Amino acid sequence: MKDGAGQHGPMRHRAAYVAFDRFPSSKGSAVHIAQMADELFTRFGGGLLAAIGGGDLPRYQREGTREVARFDAAVPNLIDRAEAFSGWVAAHLRPHWETLEVCHVRDPWSALPAVADGRRHKVVYEVNGLPSIEMSHTWPWAAPAALGKIRELERFCLERSDAVVVPSRVIGEAVRGLGVPDGRIHLVPNGADVVGRPRRPADAPERYLVYVGALQPWQGLDVLMRAFARLADMPGLRLVVCASVPERRAKPVRRLAERIGVAERVDWRFTLPHHEVAAWLAHAEVSVAPLTGCARNLDQGCAPLKVIESMAAGVPVVASDLPAVRELMADGRHGRLVPADRPAELARAVRILLEYPDEAAEMGRRGRAHIEESLTWARSRARLAEVYRTLTRGR
Amino acid sequence: MNRCTVTTGFFVLGRCGRSAVAACPQCGRPVCGEHAGPNALCPECAAAQGYRTQDPHHPGWTHGYRREYYQGSSQAYNDGYWYSSFDQYDRGAFNPGDDYSYGGDWGPDDDTGFVDS
Ligand SMILES: [Zn+2]
Ligand SMILES: [Zn+2]
Repeated sequence: MKDGAGQHGPMRHRAAYVAFDRFPSSKGSAVHIAQMADELFTRFGGGLLAAIGGGDLPRYQREGTREVARFDAAVPNLIDRAEAFSGWVAAHLRPHWETLEVCHVRDPWSALPAVADGRRHKVVYEVNGLPSIEMSHTWPWAAPAALGKIRELERFCLERSDAVVVPSRVIGEAVRGLGVPDGRIHLVPNGADVVGRPRRPADAPERYLVYVGALQPWQGLDVLMRAFARLADMPGLRLVVCASVPERRAKPVRRLAERIGVAERVDWRFTLPHHEVAAWLAHAEVSVAPLTGCARNLDQGCAPLKVIESMAAGVPVVASDLPAVRELMADGRHGRLVPADRPAELARAVRILLEYPDEAAEMGRRGRAHIEESLTWARSRARLAEVYRTLTRGR
Repeated sequence: MNRCTVTTGFFVLGRCGRSAVAACPQCGRPVCGEHAGPNALCPECAAAQGYRTQDPHHPGWTHGYRREYYQGSSQAYNDGYWYSSFDQYDRGAFNPGDDYSYGGDWGPDDDTGFVDS
């Protein structure tokens, strides 16, 4: 804003980033949103971030030339909520309709109002997952016809987007499969920032494995618990779960941990801020990413930020051998890749790393170097900036 | 002395905490000189006005906007089709469930995003 009036009067933005995600939050998606939106707003001299709020989060924030608007209507049904959100997004894009050059969206509910007819802005659709695939896992009772409609919406929005940004080649393939031409798909991998070694958490056990992330079934926590049961003979070894979701979501996993007799050796932390999670990662023996081999992870792909952040923290990773994980780390170099859904193999890989600490530490160092060389946020953001440049060239 | 309670920050949020010089006439919160707009409006209320929602803390706000935008949404983004293609039966499968139904357990502190990595 040239005259400074924008600080107090209505702002007119050239860029908007829209996400059907809570922001900020302790989930990996929030880190990703912060990086991508910050790049967008840096390129366009500010902008509007429209996201989900609730709790203590204010409905509106203004920071210089940036605005944050948060949707916080309590609509329990997901489709009703998505519909209300799309309407809210439309209303929040309307004041910027004449000035908007780029609208960056993360999901179909955000995309639908952005790809409307009569727009002059370009739409960048960032696909981290496909609700039509993802929702068959989160909502097992959804009728195939209902999921089919969600797929139609996805196709509609993808077709009308000017660029599709994907964090992994596997997701790029899935998007191609939905009919998006090659030239419109851009790979912008997730990244991590390599920083100094954080201080050891005061309540950290002597020796522990760490799991970071959410607790949906496809994350493979059950596989990890069963693997951990096989490591009962390792003296003093504990498992720390840094869950990005509220405690009540842990019930099923905790119940399983009790049933198989590992609950006493598991420490739980919930919704820790990002820098505290980084400290837990940095001082772990091994970070485990036991993603299951389900369609969600195989066909749609995933881009596990925890694998990247573990490497950035210098900790060796034991992860499921999935195509999306192979894009990020190499077996035997940055840790171990093991077949998905096999607790015995997972336990064996962890055991070997614990028994050869020098080699494990070397893998951690190589992982850190690998992130510094090729998977920093700075690199990802430069790629994203290139997508914006290409789209708005000649304006 | 009252402290300014305006939320600051982008990824890591905080409270301003400077000495307040006024109270926002819309929501009553104390605001410092930096954060007080014309008529001492706080940034949150000033932004809300830009989106035609007068007072973000008014309990009627949610309903008011829902009535207006929910119904007006089809003209707003040319979607006479998609959401209306979802009937009550389709929607029924997406009601919040119990603790076993991952993603179905929904509360104000829950994330509604799809992908967590
Ligand atoms: Zn106010
Ligand atoms: Zn202040």
